[in-house]
Amino acid sequence: MLITLEETVELIRKGRLLHIAADDTLLRQLPKGKWIGGTTPYFISEEGGIFTKDRLFVNEIDYAEEAKIAAYGKYNIFQIVEECYDNGLTMLIMPFGSEVVAKYAKEAPEVEELLLHPTIGWVAGADLENGGEIKVYNGENGESYTDKAVVMYLKLPEGKNAMVNLVNIFTDDKTDPIIRFNDNELSATKCTVNGQEVNFAEYIEKKRIDVKMPLVADYNGSYINTSIKGVENGTVGFYAPVFRNVEYRFAAHVEDYVENFQKSIAAAGAKNPVFSCNCILNYLYGDLNGKKLPPFTGPITFGEVAYQLINQTLVYCEILG
Amino acid sequence: MDAAALENVKRILRGELRYTSSNLALNMLISKMQKKLQADPQSMESCMKEMDAFIAKYPIVAKVDLANIAAL
Repeated sequence: MLITLEETVELIRKGRLLHIAADDTLLRQLPKGKWIGGTTPYFISEEGGIFTKDRLFVNEIDYAEEAKIAAYGKYNIFQIVEECYDNGLTMLIMPFGSEVVAKYAKEAPEVEELLLHPTIGWVAGADLENGGEIKVYNGENGESYTDKAVVMYLKLPEGKNAMVNLVNIFTDDKTDPIIRFNDNELSATKCTVNGQEVNFAEYIEKKRIDVKMPLVADYNGSYINTSIKGVENGTVGFYAPVFRNVEYRFAAHVEDYVENFQKSIAAAGAKNPVFSCNCILNYLYGDLNGKKLPPFTGPITFGEVAYQLINQTLVYCEILG
Repeated sequence: MDAAALENVKRILRGELRYTSSNLALNMLISKMQKKLQADPQSMESCMKEMDAFIAKYPIVAKVDLANIAAL
């Protein structure tokens, strides 16, 4: 729910367990309490997509038995696998451009047992036109960070499980060429296309590929996106890493984002998501300002975490059982 | 895991059967185990241990998948 600063302060003072997304000018005014937060001024509210620095998006967490909050840097971020509750949900927020994001993005898929612990989160950002502080907050001690991830561990009651899932409007065309990369990298100059080594930037230019469409990889039927950040000096940059030994294709063109989202949301069948976030690239390319995506509301983010870092995707969590 | 499900999980990991879950984590795990098995065909036992650990940890989530897999 998108609420005022005063309403948020009241919830914190009542001792409620909260996840908060807002512009830094608001987050920095919040009192200490049981909350974590990250910066973004973009949201999908019940009334539709909105840019605002006057309100905060707050998820009240009433489904957890216990909670604990911690912050991690690039050297210890994967302690989340050891420090989480045995049956729980891990929510993390990382600042855009930080080393901890890069570390998490590159290494999460290989971390032992990560898939055994439902993990959801997002990358904090700022106003794309006017800039602003990019931070994450540990509300418990009042600390904010530009170089650490904040994590809230939630313990779920016996008989309940968290299910992290995604809504992806992109899919591939299996007749398109298969693209592979040599390493787990956030940028690439070379790749193979159907087994033949090519310069990736030249390939994109030659084939006139619309780089608003992400690379998609088929993980046993779940499509995971990697978005193109840009092409500079013959190097293609990504918002999330590409991985060696993963087959990619460029996503098939999407004409109408809202219509595609509505179809994909209906197919996902989520009834009562307790948390969701959606990518800034979907917001921008799909012109989601003013558009509703029920039942999903939440922050618009600069990277999404559904176990691993992904792009151009709506991620959500439901509590089952 | 019953015998029918066990055998079919092995076939899924070997790429002989296709099963897509509505559970993202299970799809990611299957994909990861398929790659591990491709790289090392002798690793079926350790792959199955990881699958078992997942299923044991999330019985509510895995129940429907196991029934679907057994019926493939």
